[in-house]
Amino acid sequence: MSMNNLILLTGRTINQGVALEGGKTTMENVRAAAICAFDKDDFKKLDTLVGTPVKVITDFGEVIVYSTISEEGPHPGIIFIPMGPWANQVVNPDSQSSGTPTFKGMRAKVEVMKSGKVLNAVELIKSLKEA
Amino acid sequence: MVIKKIKTVYDVICPFCGTLCDDLEVDIENNKVIEVRNGCQIGVKKFFSSNPSEHRYEKPLIRKDGELKEATWDEAIDKAAEILTKAKRPLLYGFSSTECEAQSKGVELAELLGGILDNTASVCHGPTLLAKQDVGAPSSTLGEFKNRADLVVFWGCNPVHAHPRHLGRYSEFVRGYFRVDGRNDRYIVVIDPRNTHTAQIADLYVKVNPNEDYELLNAIRAVVRGVELDATEVSGVPMEQIKELADKLKNCKYGVIFFGMGLTQSLAHHRNIDAAICLTRELNDHTKFLIIPMRGHYNVAGANQVFAWNTGYAYSIDFSRGYPRYNPGEFSAVEVLLKDQVDASLIVASDPASNFPAASVRQMFKHPLIVIDPHESPTTVFADIVLPAAIAGIEAEGTAYRMDNVPLRLRKVKEAPGESLTDKKILEKLIEKIKEKIGE
Amino acid sequence: MSEIKLKLKNKINLPLEAESITPDNFAGKTIEDIKNLPVYLGKEQGTIGDYFIVSGKSGEKNELKIIIEGDASNVKRIGEKMTGGEIIINSDVGMHVGNHMRGGKITVNGNADDWAGAMLKGGELEITGDAGNYVGAAYRGYWQGMTNGIIKVKGKVGVESMLWAKGSAPSKKFPTLICGSAGSFLGIHNHGATIIVEGDVDRCAGADQVRGIIVIKGKVPKILPSFKKIGEVKEIELFNGDKITGKFIEYSGDHSVTKNHSVVDKKTGEISKSANGRLYIAA
Repeated sequence: MSMNNLILLTGRTINQGVALEGGKTTMENVRAAAICAFDKDDFKKLDTLVGTPVKVITDFGEVIVYSTISEEGPHPGIIFIPMGPWANQVVNPDSQSSGTPTFKGMRAKVEVMKSGKVLNAVELIKSLKEA
Repeated sequence: MVIKKIKTVYDVICPFCGTLCDDLEVDIENNKVIEVRNGCQIGVKKFFSSNPSEHRYEKPLIRKDGELKEATWDEAIDKAAEILTKAKRPLLYGFSSTECEAQSKGVELAELLGGILDNTASVCHGPTLLAKQDVGAPSSTLGEFKNRADLVVFWGCNPVHAHPRHLGRYSEFVRGYFRVDGRNDRYIVVIDPRNTHTAQIADLYVKVNPNEDYELLNAIRAVVRGVELDATEVSGVPMEQIKELADKLKNCKYGVIFFGMGLTQSLAHHRNIDAAICLTRELNDHTKFLIIPMRGHYNVAGANQVFAWNTGYAYSIDFSRGYPRYNPGEFSAVEVLLKDQVDASLIVASDPASNFPAASVRQMFKHPLIVIDPHESPTTVFADIVLPAAIAGIEAEGTAYRMDNVPLRLRKVKEAPGESLTDKKILEKLIEKIKEKIGE
Repeated sequence: MSEIKLKLKNKINLPLEAESITPDNFAGKTIEDIKNLPVYLGKEQGTIGDYFIVSGKSGEKNELKIIIEGDASNVKRIGEKMTGGEIIINSDVGMHVGNHMRGGKITVNGNADDWAGAMLKGGELEITGDAGNYVGAAYRGYWQGMTNGIIKVKGKVGVESMLWAKGSAPSKKFPTLICGSAGSFLGIHNHGATIIVEGDVDRCAGADQVRGIIVIKGKVPKILPSFKKIGEVKEIELFNGDKITGKFIEYSGDHSVTKNHSVVDKKTGEISKSANGRLYIAA
């Protein structure tokens, strides 16, 4: 199952804040920041269970994260990934010469993963180092 | 009989977010944090994270044969200084999670090296500073807002998640001098594409389309000026709601707009802030209205202050021509990394590997990387040299500037573990060693 | 006409700041002198001779033509503050080309990076490819940017082009941009600039405009809500007297700005033309 024509927003959550103070290389951090929150009705269309890994794809990259249902909806057509290394695989690095990348508002599509692993922060960044 | 010695420190400043709460109480026993009162979940966690753990660095580390190995301070400083002096275009970045005197040393070091100096405002409220430089900004302090504001707008920010005690101390629930009934004396408006937790407890939630905040600000400004617009809907908001909102803004006694990344990190960046500031100015023809950014890190405002009073500029500064030059977009950390225009990086009190877009992180890892940090992070795990730091505000005293630019003195409540040194001391050592190497 | 040719020896990986490359700086100098003019790579000072093969013969400034060959995409500040003569760049060029130029002509046979023609005071800048962001714009913190001169870009200009451009009809200063297409916020904060787009623009064209004229011959995704439709016109008169013919819809704006007057003059009841900016979109 997949969904197109979504808009991806990123930002802070309190869980992500707590987790990153506890150690950015922990599982707590993965559970707090390697997630994608969907609007409740949008999620029904994906026809899968909460927690199933999904691949989020934008013009700038792709990343596999756990799916959840947003507590901050309704926001049909919008998905949310907390700030952090997972979000940063798919945000727009271009700043239009302002210096600040465009972290919010990318067009995205999502695919439910039958297989595929959600990497922890170190594994994820390691893949950048090796590129 | 064992007598336990617990030291309680009062009026501790929390070194997490720009709200810079100043009322924490911390219990220390045997140089360990054992209880924190009055802080939010994140602030409390930060204090506890200062205790020794597998994530806390206590000795300098140098990468040898692919692995980080313990080294002496002399070895590590010497190697770091060698890398930085040899670089043609070094980047010094971070500084927002440390105290002002350390930030000042950062300026000195960048000037000595002729490199690029930048702080986290670059990826956060840099656009706010750009807008201020174009159109100014009528603002005030958090105390004034707490005591006077009867209309509070949160535009593109979500304080429940990002500044957890802000609503309780300054902007929503707290009783103020002229707002004796607290929450009931205030009208709260939230403007956001999502019905955030902050929106869910507001009086009015306006759903705006992502990346269309500028058009909405533009429409409100025109309506406030009495212009009859041609459109029936702007950015997903019906004209009726825009007119109602404009009326509310004009008819309050004292209004304030708090804004965040929703405006700075979406398309249009600083022009969103520009329009919001111009709207605020326009509203002052009708009532008292002010605007203030929700600064993220507890001392990014301080980094901007310190950089500005030393160089004339708040961030994205280049020293390669022997004098400071400022141009976000040309000298911003993310931009110079993306274009591979940097050949060595010194990261201080920050974690760009987690917070920068992946393409720029890839470039950062291609060159020598020196990191000054108390904790393990995706940046330090791949560094060539790690210099263990004491945590400012917990293990080191210093000044920090709140989001409203009020300076507060950070306390030292315990000693740093192992061989950690303060950021200031580490930067001083680097400066000394580099001066030696370039023969000053 | 005297001509100096600069050929880049190698591809440059870090930005090279070459503000010494102007007809003003080369005029009346020997080839040896020119080779010794300073350029900067990061914090290292070098000379033009370190990076370029220099040939030709210099002459008087207004008769001098400088031709640059090789990949100049990382060479910044070419033509800075020049007051006469000509520069031709036969490749892409780095940031700040022609900034603060007062006279003369620069031609870029390729793409230009950001801030091309920034703070222009006169002269002509022509780019046959695309240009980056901030074409003809003011630098950070300046309230006035381009005040005169003309910039022509065949391709697309990036965001915030002509930012804070300030024209003055009484002083006969008409800062002008003619481009193939444009990114968002075209002409933002401009006072009396002239902008002609042969094709399409992105969002927010004319934002915060006071007294400027923007003509768009292609498509606009959405017009800013603060612009008021006036009607249809068959001819547009620009500040310098030139006329553009064709069917256009005329808009007055930007009415969110304090400096702009109401659409209709309160005394005469007529449309206040000279007081307000204009946006013309092909019908």
